[in-house]
Amino acid sequence: MSGSAYASSLELVSGVVLVCAVVTLWRRSLSAIVKALAVQGLALGAVALILGVDLGDGVLIAVGCLVVIAKGLVIPALLGRVVAGDPDSRETAPIVNVPASLVAAGALTFLAYGATGPVVALIPTTAGRLIPLGFATLLIGFFVMAARRKAVSQIVGLLLVDNGIALVAFLATAGVPLLVELGASLDVLLAVVVLRVLAAQMTSKFGVLDLDQLRELHD
Amino acid sequence: MNNVSLVVTAIVGCAAAIAGGALPVRTRVGAAVILTWGACAAAFVGAVHVLQTGHPMVLNSTRILPITGVSMALDPLGAIFVVITAVVAIASTLYWLGYASHGLSSRTASAAMPVFVTSMLLVPAAGSVATFMWLWEVMALASLLLVLVDQRRREETRSAAQWYAVMTHAGAAAILLALVMIAGHGGGQTFAAIRIHAAHLPTAVRTTAFLLALIGFGSKAGAVPLHVWLPKAHPEAPSPASALMSGAMVNLGIYGILLVGDRLLGGGPTWWWLVVTGVGVISALFGALHAATSTDLKRLLAYSTADNMGLVLIGVGASGLFASTGHPIVASIAMVSALLLTVNHAAFKGSLFLSAGSVQVATGSRDLDRLGGLMKRMPVTGAVFLVGGLAIAALPPLNGFVGEWMLFQSLLHGLPTSSTAVAIAVPVGVAALALTGGLTAAAFVKAIGIGFLGRPRSEGATTAHEVPRTMQFGAGLLAGFCVVLGIVPSIVMPALERAAAVAVPGASARPLSASTDLRLVGFQGVLAPALLAGGLALAFFLVVILRRIAQRRSDLRLTLRSAEPWGCGRELQTARMQYTATSFAEPLQQVFDDVLRPDRDLDVSHLAESRYYTEKIAYRTSIGDVIEHNLYRPIIGAVYRWGLWARRLQNGSVHRYLAYGLVVLVIILAVIV
Repeated sequence: MSGSAYASSLELVSGVVLVCAVVTLWRRSLSAIVKALAVQGLALGAVALILGVDLGDGVLIAVGCLVVIAKGLVIPALLGRVVAGDPDSRETAPIVNVPASLVAAGALTFLAYGATGPVVALIPTTAGRLIPLGFATLLIGFFVMAARRKAVSQIVGLLLVDNGIALVAFLATAGVPLLVELGASLDVLLAVVVLRVLAAQMTSKFGVLDLDQLRELHD
Repeated sequence: MNNVSLVVTAIVGCAAAIAGGALPVRTRVGAAVILTWGACAAAFVGAVHVLQTGHPMVLNSTRILPITGVSMALDPLGAIFVVITAVVAIASTLYWLGYASHGLSSRTASAAMPVFVTSMLLVPAAGSVATFMWLWEVMALASLLLVLVDQRRREETRSAAQWYAVMTHAGAAAILLALVMIAGHGGGQTFAAIRIHAAHLPTAVRTTAFLLALIGFGSKAGAVPLHVWLPKAHPEAPSPASALMSGAMVNLGIYGILLVGDRLLGGGPTWWWLVVTGVGVISALFGALHAATSTDLKRLLAYSTADNMGLVLIGVGASGLFASTGHPIVASIAMVSALLLTVNHAAFKGSLFLSAGSVQVATGSRDLDRLGGLMKRMPVTGAVFLVGGLAIAALPPLNGFVGEWMLFQSLLHGLPTSSTAVAIAVPVGVAALALTGGLTAAAFVKAIGIGFLGRPRSEGATTAHEVPRTMQFGAGLLAGFCVVLGIVPSIVMPALERAAAVAVPGASARPLSASTDLRLVGFQGVLAPALLAGGLALAFFLVVILRRIAQRRSDLRLTLRSAEPWGCGRELQTARMQYTATSFAEPLQQVFDDVLRPDRDLDVSHLAESRYYTEKIAYRTSIGDVIEHNLYRPIIGAVYRWGLWARRLQNGSVHRYLAYGLVVLVIILAVIV
């Protein structure tokens, strides 16, 4: 792979990761949000694959394949079934409305660039320049959890945080050991399975998947 | 001989606790008591040995506590407190044998009591910060359990235990801070190492550590304004436990102040000791005033504990004042008097609490306004209470008189040759001492006169009869010490002098020449207690004989008519016509109205037919604790309000919690940038 092709393809797929994060804030339909998450998982896998091919690192390529399967296919498929089972699968009344959320996402991206400045200065490579994208994805994921009501949105937010961390890890250290990535993926998978069970229970008890209903359990 | 006694005390004490916790109910208390006596006897023998030889008893082991190890070093100062604790504990546990059937035979109580006694026996022997704090906390927790024994039956007990727990743990935190500060700047955590480095500590560290220690140990000793737990926990605890707490545990607060102020830091500037004396004066006056106006017998005794600890603090403060202004001999006399007051207080307050417990068991009440006429129904308990009351009122020939005499002597002899601050503080101390003595006497005239004389004011008091022998003996043992120490105080003087020589830096070894009479060396001051007792006995018999003679003469002249005493000519009298504790204290209450701030409530209800005729008048009066009301309640209220406000932070919304996380993360990142 030539140097410029490598750089531009890495920039492209990293950018897609962040754009997918913003899309989850923009779209109200839960199925669209889950699709955005699937695209993000594929893009994240592509980041690992491109880095692996460039460095000739077999382990990193394996990790990339694992990410594509877990985050690009399996988890979105599980979430898709939750959404399909929910009669009201739209984020109708988010806590922060869509335009304000997009402005906040912009602000968080600025913050990510500001905060990671020292780190970027330390790693003067193409991959190093892209670290703020991972950080911004993390912050937006956090924001999604705080600003969206649906249980599915919550888990999507958590997965965004996880993807952001994974992106920073790939870009900053040229990949994490297979074992660690495997552990992290399994953790996330477990969280999704728990959510699936919880969502099924919530639907049967309350008929909706709105987390604010859980406030009844308070006190 | 060396450290065997400490090891035996610890092992037998633990065995007593296990026996109390594990054995079936019939044998549990007996076994625990006998083993506790074993622990007390071992500690007593060891402490007396230390007092006789003057050599400290040392024990070091790295096996018991992890990391820090256990380090024990019992010097003559600590040995005095071990002896006091051992004697009070033997009497209280003897009393417990009879008291056990009145709700003190549970597994918890039977295990907590030996643990409490053993930890108190070992606290003065601790030789390092870690060992000291460990034993101190064990002591606090065991005593807290004992306060809580009655919690199922009485609502007040829980609140009292809460107060006690908060005060004692806040105190322990202050003590820990103080000790860690001086240990951190000194060469290590053993007291010996701290002592060597103490002189090189920065002044700020010394001052802060001393003040923290004064707060921490002061709260244990019941020094005003940290006394609030005393009048709550002492009355609610079962009587053997309150006797131990008041007779032995509060003394350890005094020991702690001496330990940090004199033993570890080696004395300090004059103003430290002015503060101690000031706290002592306030405690003595406040305690005595409340004791004089309390109508609850055990609450009265608890306030009187604050009063007596105030007197001891005056002695400790005076000793420090004289030492810091260069009068070591007067300083030693003041220290001996402080220690003697501590010994005395243990003897009479122990016997008073135990006999108050007997009264409560026999009548089911400790409200003086519901007692009366107990001297005839419970002669032994009455006599014990009488001896204790006379002793605490400092009347000769009992021990309280000797202690207060010495304290007065040291204050008066320190007067002419001191600095200005001392010259002002000492007369104030003397005046406070005199007023306190008067108020204490009034309090115990009330307790004895209303509680034991007159006619019974309630059904319980009418049907009261004497308590079991073990309870009589337990209380009587301590009353016996009051008499013995009052007539021949010279038996404890050498030991007290040795302890004072350890406590006062640069003290003279023998400030007193004590044979049968007490003579202050280098000053004009002699007290011959035995002679005094003999003279009093002689005067007593003279009065009796003269009265007989006078009676015989009057018999010749006119025939005797019998009538009800104090009848004022009325035929029918009821017990309700007598003076009550409330009415006895009324004049005092009027005089000290501004300090006591009593709540008065007068309800006049009229007959339905006419407003000019009253149907009944109800008069209620209650005296709260001014300091509790004005100092503690606002603090508690503020904490409560803050807690309520903080509750609004958590409303059960997941989103809000996530938002907190995001906001904190963003703030941290912004700060980094």
